[in-house]
Order: sequence, then structure tokens, then C-alpha cells
Amino acid sequence: MLFFKECKKILFSLTFLIYLVAVVGFYFTQFHEDTEDKIYQPAPEFTDYGTIAKEVPEILMPAATDGLVTEYLRGYYKAYPIGFYKKVQLSEKKSAQIAEIITEITGISKQELDDYADFDEGGMTMIPDGNGGYIPVVEKPNIPEINIPDTMTYEHFRELMHKADKIIGGGSDYSDDYIVGTFSRVPKTYEDALADYNDIIEKDKVTGAYARLFCDYMGIIVSILPAFVAAALANADRKSRMEHLIYSRKISSVKLVLTRFSALIIILAIPVIVLAFIASFSVSRIYTQNSTDFLAIPKMSVYWLLPNILFSTALGMAITEISSQLIAVFVQGVLWFASVMSVSGGLTGSISRFTLVCRHNSLYGRNIFMESFNNFLFSRIFYTILAVAIMLLTTWIYSEKRKGGFNVIHKNFISKSKT
Amino acid sequence: MEKIEIKNVNKFYGKKHALKNINLTINQGMFGLLGRNGAGKTTLMKTLSALHQKKNGSITVCGIPIENAKEIRSITGYLPQEFSMYPNMNVYEALDYLGTLSGMTKSERKERIEMLLKKVNLMEHQHKKVKALSGGMKRRLGIAQALLHNPKVLIVDEPTAGLDPEERIRFRNLLTNEADERIVILSTHIVGDIEASCEDIAIMNDGKILWQGTVSELISNARGKVFTVNVPKKYLPQIKKDYIVTGMLIQGEYNIVRIISDNIPNLQGVHTDEPNCEDAYMYCLYQNGCDVYGGEE
Repeated sequence: MLFFKECKKILFSLTFLIYLVAVVGFYFTQFHEDTEDKIYQPAPEFTDYGTIAKEVPEILMPAATDGLVTEYLRGYYKAYPIGFYKKVQLSEKKSAQIAEIITEITGISKQELDDYADFDEGGMTMIPDGNGGYIPVVEKPNIPEINIPDTMTYEHFRELMHKADKIIGGGSDYSDDYIVGTFSRVPKTYEDALADYNDIIEKDKVTGAYARLFCDYMGIIVSILPAFVAAALANADRKSRMEHLIYSRKISSVKLVLTRFSALIIILAIPVIVLAFIASFSVSRIYTQNSTDFLAIPKMSVYWLLPNILFSTALGMAITEISSQLIAVFVQGVLWFASVMSVSGGLTGSISRFTLVCRHNSLYGRNIFMESFNNFLFSRIFYTILAVAIMLLTTWIYSEKRKGGFNVIHKNFISKSKT
Repeated sequence: MEKIEIKNVNKFYGKKHALKNINLTINQGMFGLLGRNGAGKTTLMKTLSALHQKKNGSITVCGIPIENAKEIRSITGYLPQEFSMYPNMNVYEALDYLGTLSGMTKSERKERIEMLLKKVNLMEHQHKKVKALSGGMKRRLGIAQALLHNPKVLIVDEPTAGLDPEERIRFRNLLTNEADERIVILSTHIVGDIEASCEDIAIMNDGKILWQGTVSELISNARGKVFTVNVPKKYLPQIKKDYIVTGMLIQGEYNIVRIISDNIPNLQGVHTDEPNCEDAYMYCLYQNGCDVYGGEE
């Protein structure tokens, strides 16, 4: 059967061996130690339990206004329109529209904003600690004094923020997705921390927390490495000068490409699932007193990580068919780097609807993850559908290549490489 | 009777007119397509294997329009000019993989692979990795893969290039045996291969079919146009300039020179000679206004 022959080809390939070593190595160096740490119940005597996002208009309105004024004066806005960082510079007309919003909220005119000479965007600085070392200090931006009149209702304020987000192009800190998490953070109380702990014990059945951390780590690696294996397999026919022997066979392009894709997905997913079971086994050993869900890590791996494997594999195959293995790996590498390096809200939470590499680098903070859960689900479905669409496109490209078409990019690339 | 019919076929690579109004009928048995490198043979072979699309015209292979690629591929075996197989697969595995792609069942594959490996003398090498095979063995493996699904049409493109004389003879005999029950198209620039194995042939140059007929007809066309003359060495440059020289045999200070010419050359001691296939091919190129000393651009 063709499927098993393709699986065998992948299993005995050098790129799969590299993938296997990398995935297993990453698991044991980055995650496995965490399976030996217990999640502890918070003690009431602690003073700092971190912060949580909570929609408090009195906190959100001034903080968001400060943010908007700072970005206006700085001249650019940060945004994550499709999950990737984008530095947005507005036209004069759009910049004036932002100024109008600021004026409506604060009463500060555009002229006053533009004439403000003491602007300093602040940031992190290091100051001497007196013992020969340095400590980091967050300096607030220096902006005009902001006073929001009582007549400004919260509802209207959110409307204005929504409008500002649209002007910026979506995905900004003022968007409905990000505004609360970015500007309305409150200290976590003991009760909040206890509630979070109880949720982990009762709703996550403990293993759910480890599942998020497992997927956080493994997501980094399975969002890039499958592209290498897929590109190598897609390039194998060309490299072995076997293309025409295969093109001239009876098999349909749809059947051949989709069989190869399925074989890749199964073979690439197996090490991840096996590691998920190993993690489950390790975790369940230290929680003998609790009721745990042994399958939580494998289950979450399927719906968290499989879309990444699907997308990375599909893109690797598609670009290799159109151009070359090298370009496929390069494109996937750029996407991966952009996604991993542009996590908008740090390593926990703030997952947007188009986040490729979803992060939650903590055993705690279940509530933070759940705040973005709808976005998380959307992103998983989005990348799954995108992967399927890319594969359908790949079958069409493959079919055209069998008829002598679609070699343009490859030929150009090769000829340029030779010259 | 099974045949391939090609009518008014044109193909372009961008602006390059690769096939120019090709008309050809190929019947069962060995058919030779002769032409120098760059003549368009490979393009025509690939078009017949449904690996290239024509611009216009019509092609039917055993009654099936070429546009029906899946059916064409199920009745066609193709051996490209340059090919290899996954280097780490062994001979049996490589054939088994390609047989699977041809939709053959496991038992069909086993039966055909064993039969073909015996036929191409690779039975004892069936567990050898493809990368360990010699050039001749690879070619024989190539013909085995093309015959795997027992096709009605076998298309082989420059199969003997780079083979030593024994391998070349063995390969030609193999193809001739296969032609008993199918159409075999042998594309080559080596006249000796055509002469030894094909009766029906076509000559191609610059994307056009210059001539189609039998080998004996081709030779007959050149009858009375081939001459030999024994001349001192010093006259050679002038003779080469004035005539088409197809052969030279050095004998001390003299050379026996074979010349193609429509008229009897005005040389002392010249006499008419019986044309061979190579002379006839060269005469055909000459007769059609081709630059006979030219080649691939």
C-alpha cells in the first residue's frame, strides 16, 4: 500500500532523524524537568500573586489613553493584525483622526500634542543598586497630563478605542481582543490565586496545566521542523531524478500528494504523541493523591499542535513544489521567527485569532489562557483549514507539473544559482 | 491494429517553436525517431507520454486522445533520457514502489517484477541498492520499470547513450523482443541503434519531421549519391569545403573519403558506393537544406 511505502521512506530519511532528535532533545532539555515539579496551593501569607486582566473602567480608560497618546507622539503604533508584529506608521490624514479621538477624550488639541516638546517614550533603564550591580527600572513615558472628564462614558470610550484600532488597521492594543489584557491589569489576590489553583485541580485535573506547558514548548519546534522533512520528501523525486518516472504513472495527483501529506503528518505526529504519553506518565506519578486525566496531554497535543504540524508540512510541500527545498525552509523559517518573536502579550495569554505559535509558558494562569480560549480555538481551526487549502493548491500544482507546466520559478531559481 | 496518430501538432516553449506541425503515424513494432540533439525528439516523446501539453493538433494513442492523461499513462511505459531512482532503495523495492503508483496489486507486482528482472538480467541484483548499480544496469532497470504495468506503448528516449558496445547490443535486443506485442518508440541520435533495430523510422530536425518511411527506403533515397575517392591528404580541406564528407579512412599519405553529393564529384578516381544508414541519414539532412555539420544550438 502506497501509504505505508511513503511512511517507510520518511522514517528512513535523514531529515526525519534530525526532526526526531530535535523534538526528543527539546522535550528533555526544556520540559521534562517541569513534570517533576508539583503545582502548589497558594499560601495566604504571600504578598505577590502576579496580576490578572480584569475589566475595570477606572484603570483601563486612563491607561489606554496614555498608551494612545504615547504612540501618537512616538509616530508609530504596534499591531498584530494577523498574529505577527507590525509597525504601523499612519498617513497625515489618519494621524489627524487619531488626534481627534485623543482630543475628544482628553480635551488636548492636535496642535498642543504636536507642539509638545518634552516627549519621552520611557522604557526600561538600568540603575546602580549601590552594591556594584544594576537593577532594571521601568520609566513611564513623559506625555502631557491626561484628564478624562466625567462626562466620558466607558461605553463611548470603548467605541473610540475601537475606532482608533480600525484607523491603525486592526490588531492594535486598542482592539477588543487586546485592550483589557493590555491596559486593565489588577494585582491578583489570594482568592484569585486560590481560585486559579482550584480550577487547575478540578477543571484541568492537574494534567491540563502540564498539557498547556507541554504544548507551549513543543509548539515552538513543531511549527518549523516539519517543513524541513516535508520539503525534503517533496524534493526527493527531483533530487533522485525520478520525477518523470513518477509523473508518467497512472496514479492521480490528488491521491499521490494527499497520501504523501497524510504519511508525513502521521510520522511527524507520532514522536510528539509518544512524548505526550511520557509526560502524562511522569506527571501522574507525582499526583497520586489527585484525580488526574491521563489523556489530557495527548488530547491537547492533538488540537493544539496538530494544526502547526499540518500548516508547516503543507507549506513546506507547496513551496518545494513551486520552487525549491531551500526556499520552502526559508519561508517557513521567516514565518516561524515572526510568530515566535512577536508574542504580543508575553509568554502567557494574549493569543490572537491568527497566532501561529500559541504560547502559555506557565503551569499556572489557567484563567489567562481561558480569556483567549476563543481566539485560540479560532487560530487552530484557521491554520487547519489553511493547511487543507494549501494542500489542495499543491495537488493542482503537482498535476500541472506532470503535464509540463509550473516549472517557471524552479527553472529561474536553478538558472540563477548556476550563473 | 494499435497505432499512434499525430496530426498537425505544434508546441511552444515560450516563443521557441519546439514542435512544428508534426504529422506521424506509428504502428505496432519498433519505430525509430532519429535526429540530432536539440531536434525536438525528447519534446515529442514527452508529449506522447502526456508529460507535456501540445499547443494544438491532435494525438491519439491506441484510440485514446492524449488529453485523457490518466488513461494514456496506464497504457504507456516511459523511459526518460536522464533518470535515476531513490538511491537507498534496492532494485526490487524501487520497482515495487513504481508498480504501486501504477495501481498494480501486490501479487501482480510480484509476478511482473520477478519476470522482468529475469528478462533484464537483474534477478541476482534485486537486493542491491540502486546507487550501487552500473550505468548499464540502471538502464536495464529503467526498461524494467517502463514495462512493469505491461504497457501497450513503450517510449524510450536516448536509451543507449553512454553504454558500452555490449550493453548497447543487449539493450537493443531487449527492445526488439518487446516490440512483438506493443508499439516501441526508440528515440536516438545514434544511427547504428536505428539501423540495427528499427524498420519504420522518422527523421526529425529543428522541431520538424523531415522524413518518414522504412530504413531500406531511406537508404534507397541515397543510392547513387554516395561516392568514395582516394585522395592525398593535402586535398582534404578543399574536399571538406566542397562536399559533405561522411567518412575518412587514413591509409598512409592517402585518405579514402566518403562523399555525399547530388552529382558525381569532379574528382579523379571517384566511384559510386553503396550507401549505409548513416550516409542516408546525412543525405536526408542535406536534401532538406539542413546544416549537416551543425548540431544542438
